[in-house]
Amino acid sequence: MPELSFARSCGAAAAGLLLAGAAASTSGATSAAVAPVVVIENVQFSPQNLIVKAGERITWVNKDLFPHTATADGKIFESQAIAPNGSWTWVAGKPGTYAYGCTFHPTMKGTVTVQ
Amino acid sequence: MIMKHAAWSGILALATAASAAFAAGPSDPQIAAIVVTANQVDIDAGKLAVSKSTTKDVKDFAQLMVTDHTGVNKSASELVQKLHVTPESNPTSQSLQKGGGDNLAALKKLSGNAFDRAYVDHEVAYHQAVLDAVDTTLIPSAQNAELKALLVKVRPAFVAHLEHAKQLQSTLSKSGA
Repeated sequence: MPELSFARSCGAAAAGLLLAGAAASTSGATSAAVAPVVVIENVQFSPQNLIVKAGERITWVNKDLFPHTATADGKIFESQAIAPNGSWTWVAGKPGTYAYGCTFHPTMKGTVTVQ
Repeated sequence: MIMKHAAWSGILALATAASAAFAAGPSDPQIAAIVVTANQVDIDAGKLAVSKSTTKDVKDFAQLMVTDHTGVNKSASELVQKLHVTPESNPTSQSLQKGGGDNLAALKKLSGNAFDRAYVDHEVAYHQAVLDAVDTTLIPSAQNAELKALLVKVRPAFVAHLEHAKQLQSTLSKSGA
């Protein structure tokens, strides 16, 4: 568990906090206490397919060295550019499965399923 | 069409990096110079394409190359400073530099569809060559663990760029002219 420094910017602190939850999220653990996180690294979304409940806050954390976006088909959600080490949060709304990608890197694809 | 002009010499340099230039593989300072030069060459080509191409998809790709390779080089520069490694010019980095200059010179003579195709064709070959060099020479030769880790970390970007460039190449060939 990384130490959190409150001297850091809100964004960085939030990213660190959420990273602590990333392992649980990617390993498929179902703990409801852990906020869902998608780690963007190696030009991929991980987990590629995320399942959440309506109302949960999903955070994308960019661990690559350059910007990415999380952009859903039909712009159901649209992060704009997420800087390296930056993050972006979306509150899951209406149930459904939403395909999304990175507008910069067409090879990046993922889905969010809201239950 | 392959290797029809001198602009491809940098790619050849990368392809032969494993054999002629480095009997025992490049040193870390040499790898650092190769990485920084390889990124810079693609940034320079990208900047030219952003200004010269009139095709949105090509301009977007070119801007992506500028942004991504600038990000990689920023990290590479920070790492070499941290490790107190001074990038050491070597035959591969020099050939890359020259190949990059030749490519720019060739591209500057072209316009419209011919420019787009030449730029994208070169990007496909370039990223494939960099990827091969990363896999066969740079990662196996890197001694410092953090330098090796950086190479491993940037590898997926070259894979994604290569795939993206190939898609673009396919689109351009379908658009004809």
